[in-house]
Amino acid sequence: MSSAAAQRPNGLALFILPSALLFALFFFLPIGLMALMSVLTGNPVVAPKVAFTTRHYARMVDDPFYLEVIWTTIRIGLVTTLVALAIGYPLAHWMARIKSRTGHALLLMAVLAPMLTGIVVRTFAWMTLLSDKGVVNQTLMSLGVIGQPLKLMYTETGIVVGLVHIYVPFMVLTLTGVIGRIDERLEQAAENLGASPLRAFLEVTLPLSLPGILAGSLLVFALAISAYVTPILLGGFQIMTLPILIYQQISANFNVGFAAALGIVLLMISLGLVVAYNRALGLVSGQRELQ
Amino acid sequence: MMKAQGSSRLSRRRFLTASASLGIGTIAAPYVARADDPTLRITGWGGKWGEIMKAEIGPAFESEFKCKLQIDSAFPYLPKLQASSRSAPIYDVLHTNSNEQWAAAEMGLVEPKIDPRLVPNLADVYPYAVSDKIVGVSIFTSAIGLGLRTDKGYGSITSWKELWDAKYNGVRGGYVIPVNSLGQAFLMMCGTLFGKGQTDLDAAYTALEKLKPIKIVDFTGAMEKMLLSGEVGLCVIHDSGIYRYDGQNQPTDFVSPSEGVLSLEQVLTITPGSKMKELANAYVNYMLRPEVQKRLAETVWYSPANKKVKLDAKYDAKLLTTPEKVSKLIQVDWKWYNERKDEIDQRVNRIFRA
Repeated sequence: MSSAAAQRPNGLALFILPSALLFALFFFLPIGLMALMSVLTGNPVVAPKVAFTTRHYARMVDDPFYLEVIWTTIRIGLVTTLVALAIGYPLAHWMARIKSRTGHALLLMAVLAPMLTGIVVRTFAWMTLLSDKGVVNQTLMSLGVIGQPLKLMYTETGIVVGLVHIYVPFMVLTLTGVIGRIDERLEQAAENLGASPLRAFLEVTLPLSLPGILAGSLLVFALAISAYVTPILLGGFQIMTLPILIYQQISANFNVGFAAALGIVLLMISLGLVVAYNRALGLVSGQRELQ
Repeated sequence: MMKAQGSSRLSRRRFLTASASLGIGTIAAPYVARADDPTLRITGWGGKWGEIMKAEIGPAFESEFKCKLQIDSAFPYLPKLQASSRSAPIYDVLHTNSNEQWAAAEMGLVEPKIDPRLVPNLADVYPYAVSDKIVGVSIFTSAIGLGLRTDKGYGSITSWKELWDAKYNGVRGGYVIPVNSLGQAFLMMCGTLFGKGQTDLDAAYTALEKLKPIKIVDFTGAMEKMLLSGEVGLCVIHDSGIYRYDGQNQPTDFVSPSEGVLSLEQVLTITPGSKMKELANAYVNYMLRPEVQKRLAETVWYSPANKKVKLDAKYDAKLLTTPEKVSKLIQVDWKWYNERKDEIDQRVNRIFRA
């Protein structure tokens, strides 16, 4: 009877079908096509003679400019993630441990409020603050602190500022859930045994919140390296990242194959990170492999 | 008797059914009525151009030729055309700048020339509009020169070379060359100004290097806003980008440098796979009509390609409306440029990297 029951299809499994189809159609198929286009000489749908090639990838390796663009993208992603973590962790800790329901609600609203505005609007808001004629420079100049506008925009720092503002809520929300599940009595026990609050935090809370740190960092990094609007507006086109280069290849050079190869590289960076995350999480939780 | 009585009474179900049918009918009526109308799919700009096309020029064409005009103003157009089938292209008529038209022609996505027998108004256009530097036909052009803030005491400007003056450091404006026609045309101008001619890329690169620090943008609309806000004091821009603020007392002016102005053409081409060839040619001919040209020119400040257009004095004074004025236009060899675009892009991306 048990084997018959095991062979009988589970009715609930049918509920997975729509999402499975959705994933297959709008996730796996486009990525598969992108991978295919990256190794073809042209579009087989419209071009008569199309052959396999590695020239798009060879171009990336041959020209150090593209490697520099990849490194710039990763660097901006890493710095954004670290800054978002530095800002987000204390806030998430506070949110997770605050006793007042009203206080928690207010903090949650404060974190979520920026997400109610579009990324473009938020980036333009930063432009009004950071540009040469922006609020910061004009205020400092009117106070006589500076004679010439500070170069706040069109730099990697400007991009990181904009990205951190946009992605901090993702870090905070991820961390709050994890920190909230850590039993406070563990910290209290450490303190009762003579540990200072800082040592109790460093040796108890911080290690236990590592899964949240890793998940939040992964999320913010993946979003930051694939960001387009903020780097293009706050970087003033002078900081080249992979998404900008991909758009340029499609919209102005009409080189879909090379754009696809760049897209695959971006995807590989993200996938590499996910694998590293899983391994790190496995080590943290004392498992060799995550099931 | 009961049955007869029941059938004549308006029940709730009948009322709802009738209301729903009436509602659906009302909403669908215009679409059903026009279902048989042929549809011409074209591209076009947004902003003032899009507004007047939607409000006046487009409906007048639809009414005269008993068709529907479907305008795509979501840039970029060429990748969409590139992705669509050659035998059933996404557009019948492609309207974009000359550099992209050349790329489209090279890929076989548009027909390189317009047949003058099918577009009679072609006989009335200035030579530049159908020159060997043009794929299809240029229906309008703008002059690319310099945009200046008049309230900063910069003095009068007569030459392109003044853009390199150190006093404009921090307020100099240019374009993302890989994606912007004005930027690409300006690069060629740099070759002329500092080298042996348009194709002297080494001279152009050296000149661009010396332009730094420079604020760069992707679209002319963004440059207009930078100039209006004072973020930029002197920049490369087309005349329409300055003149369209006429009457608003903006402290900006357009400078036509003595070395000549570059031509920014608005070009129409027809796709080879279009099933609406007759209508497509009719549309190109319509857009070259003097009255259509006049209306559009006086709305968006583009110089008309048709020699017979008589603009009002205000527009005539500023736009390129005579053979003498038109002779100042410098056309870029886009075929040559596109063949080297990848190499140029890689170089200028490096030059302007922060």
